[in-house]
Amino acid sequence: MTAPAPSALAVKRGRDPTLTISVVVIWGFMALFILFPLAKILVLTFERGGHFSLANIIEILGHRSHYQAFWNSLLLGGLVGLLGTLLGFFFAFTAVRANLSRRWTLFLDMAIILPLISPPFTTAIAMIFSFGPRGLITYDLLGIGRFNVYGLHSTLFAETITYFPIAYLTLKAILAGIDPNVEDMAFSLGSGRWRVFRTVTLPLTIPGLANAFLLLFAASLADFATPLILAGNSFPVLPTEAYLQITGLFDLKGGAVLSFALLVPAFIVFMLQRFWVGRRYYVTITGKTGSQTAIKSVSPWAARLLLAGCILLSLVIVYFYLLLFYASVIAAFGANHALTLKHYRVVFTEGLKAIQDTLVIAGCGMLLGGLYGVVVGYLVGKKAFVSRTAMEIVSMVNYSLPGTIVGIAYLIAFNDRPIMITGTALIIVAAYVFRYGAAGIRTTVAILQQIDPSIEEASHSLGAGTLTTFRRVTIPLILPGLFTGLGVVFIRSMTAISATIFLVSINWTLITVRILEKMTELELGVAAAFSILVVAIVMAVTAAIGGCLRLFRQPGAPSMSSILGG
Amino acid sequence: MRRRWQLTGLMIALAVVVLPAAALAAGESLNAYSIWPENWARPMFEEFEKATGIHVNFVRFSSGEALVRVVAEKNNPQVDVLFGGPVETHSAGIPEGVFAPYKPPTYDVLEARFKDPQGYWVGIADDPLVFMTNRKFLAENKLQAPASWEDLLHPAYKGMLQMADARTSGTAVTRIFSILEVYGRDEAKAFDYMRKLRGNVQVYTKSGGGGTIPVGLGQAGGGIFFIVDALKTQQEGYDVVVSFPKEGIGTSTEAIALIKGAKNPAAAKKLIDWAASPAMQNLFATYKINFVPCHPDVAVEPSLAQVLKGADIFPIDSAWAGENRKRIVEMWVDKVLP
Repeated sequence: MTAPAPSALAVKRGRDPTLTISVVVIWGFMALFILFPLAKILVLTFERGGHFSLANIIEILGHRSHYQAFWNSLLLGGLVGLLGTLLGFFFAFTAVRANLSRRWTLFLDMAIILPLISPPFTTAIAMIFSFGPRGLITYDLLGIGRFNVYGLHSTLFAETITYFPIAYLTLKAILAGIDPNVEDMAFSLGSGRWRVFRTVTLPLTIPGLANAFLLLFAASLADFATPLILAGNSFPVLPTEAYLQITGLFDLKGGAVLSFALLVPAFIVFMLQRFWVGRRYYVTITGKTGSQTAIKSVSPWAARLLLAGCILLSLVIVYFYLLLFYASVIAAFGANHALTLKHYRVVFTEGLKAIQDTLVIAGCGMLLGGLYGVVVGYLVGKKAFVSRTAMEIVSMVNYSLPGTIVGIAYLIAFNDRPIMITGTALIIVAAYVFRYGAAGIRTTVAILQQIDPSIEEASHSLGAGTLTTFRRVTIPLILPGLFTGLGVVFIRSMTAISATIFLVSINWTLITVRILEKMTELELGVAAAFSILVVAIVMAVTAAIGGCLRLFRQPGAPSMSSILGG
Repeated sequence: MRRRWQLTGLMIALAVVVLPAAALAAGESLNAYSIWPENWARPMFEEFEKATGIHVNFVRFSSGEALVRVVAEKNNPQVDVLFGGPVETHSAGIPEGVFAPYKPPTYDVLEARFKDPQGYWVGIADDPLVFMTNRKFLAENKLQAPASWEDLLHPAYKGMLQMADARTSGTAVTRIFSILEVYGRDEAKAFDYMRKLRGNVQVYTKSGGGGTIPVGLGQAGGGIFFIVDALKTQQEGYDVVVSFPKEGIGTSTEAIALIKGAKNPAAAKKLIDWAASPAMQNLFATYKINFVPCHPDVAVEPSLAQVLKGADIFPIDSAWAGENRKRIVEMWVDKVLP
């Protein structure tokens, strides 16, 4: 007659055969698609003549350019993290504290979201168009004939523009979570605005700033396409070097060693995030901020100044995309500016296969990845079983590693017996599912933590069985997690390149790989047209999923922006 | 209930996306990695399909990328043919055991430098390197078109040359071997020259033709390219000048090779037969592709012959280049690139 106590439930479920089977199956997949490829990289890095050895590392990093690439990667990552966090904070602070009208907020959000849903090198193309030796800005506007567009400065600029939205979304959530009443208290105690900002607002955001920095650092560390196009030859970075080592020098071992060098800082960032930043802040979304007060922390003129700064930067982003669109509808940028649709004709004839392949792969990856995210998220967030923490950590591994490593690891691991799946769609789908499905896991876990167990208990005490409760109560509650997973996997499948450039084949190719190919063949118009197409598809699907999210909106469910926030 | 319908709708929408891929057409076909860019490979393969009914599925890769894939896929070949690309790529693949020997009917009439003695590859075109410069750039800097390797070291070219990266591009490898030949294979002297040339290079591009449009646009002043890329730039209306150095410059055979363990060997051999014969090489002129044909019965297109008149062009010893490729490229990465 009594409702079972939660602990009794947990014990009962602990012996649940379905649970055991699911856990074993999930571990099987994780072992195959996460641990096995990683182990292959480690073996290739540390093995020589059948023995453990550091000789490979010493030999590869002994090359001056590789050694330099290692430090360059760290430098670039650090700078992108710093500048991007600053910029993200600036935007987030303006959006949350400057009392913007809805129209301005929408404009800023739209402009900022563009880089997040584009193939990673779209900014790079626009940079070349603008700042090359015959660029629209450097040459036509400023008359500088020999501006050097290749190097640290432009890579830094392009990556900052591309990745600062991640910092913006992270920090916006945190700033919005700080109750303005806390600031009000400081005001009523007699502090000035600047002092409140310095002693109240900023300290509360510090863990968020650290997290944003780490996210950006990791994103830059993993970025392969931007430096490939913009870094030139005097500023080598690791992901690009690893790629060239493999594709140009036919040296898988060298590529593995270079990836390993990338793995070390990436792993440090991952651990810092999990065990340092992760413990220091926790934003609860209560939907209540006490009695709402007008925000006073920014004076009107400062608000106007902030807004002006943000609009200026947003215009830079919008300009880049307009330029991209313009390049896609003219014959040849810089030479013949006659309007034409010929690039789109190429996209929809020669490029049709890539479009179909990408949609098929993104579609399958999205379904499987969404499912994987929810199942693992549910197990990790709701069930008690041995190895639960280990599963949570392992599930994040491929997500945290730079894509280049994942791609190379897959290429090495699945190119030979016993599992030969290079050349198939399966390998690309698997790469996406186990890499980006992790976002669905995180969201599901976060949602489950916010669901009061009493809801499920109430269902039990009203006489519903475990299955009915799961179907009628739990599933609807975690549907947002499913949609988040679907969204992230789809968007990344459309835009990612660093992992999959190693996995495309004669049978299966991807739009992003075609864009890169077209860029190296200097068919920039076609590359621009492809990019515009990707942005359009992703926008449509994002809107559709955003609609689904609103339909199934639960208290505390993530908004679309959290899908994209890294 | 409303939600269930929405989910169903979502599934249907996905099915619509997924199904077209399942409806792949049947029929005889073969798979190829093409090193030729798509806009030349595609018409060739379409003509081949017209002539034989065999469809060619292909992906385009730079020569380095194509070879690394063929080697990586050795135990599980994904393609039947490696189509096009400078022959040193194919030579480097022979010791890796990725090719199967095959001698097409035209094998015997080809000049010795257009075929491997064992038949691991045959030539389908000849492609000399050239200097290509922007005419406006030359005029602004009061320069003549470069007529010697030394001319490219002129300070006016500082930061204004674009050429290919040896790690991914066969064009670059042919260029480096040309320089080695010009210096009588004296590596110290040749690398000293390349080191000096590096100072004038704006960027090393990933693919061989990567610098052509920048030169056409004046974003770069000049560079070293295959004639086929240089003349294409001219055909597209860019005002560029093609010239040859008096010390001579290398040429590379564009080759085709059969992959060992090919899954469609019969179709692959038909493609090789066709590509090594006048049937394909006569089409170069039709499609305005400025390769020099290597089958003796195919005449060089008159305007192309005009460009080549008086130029000192020497073949690169493919066996020697194949043997030394890896070492030389690594040396280039270490000594020239930084």
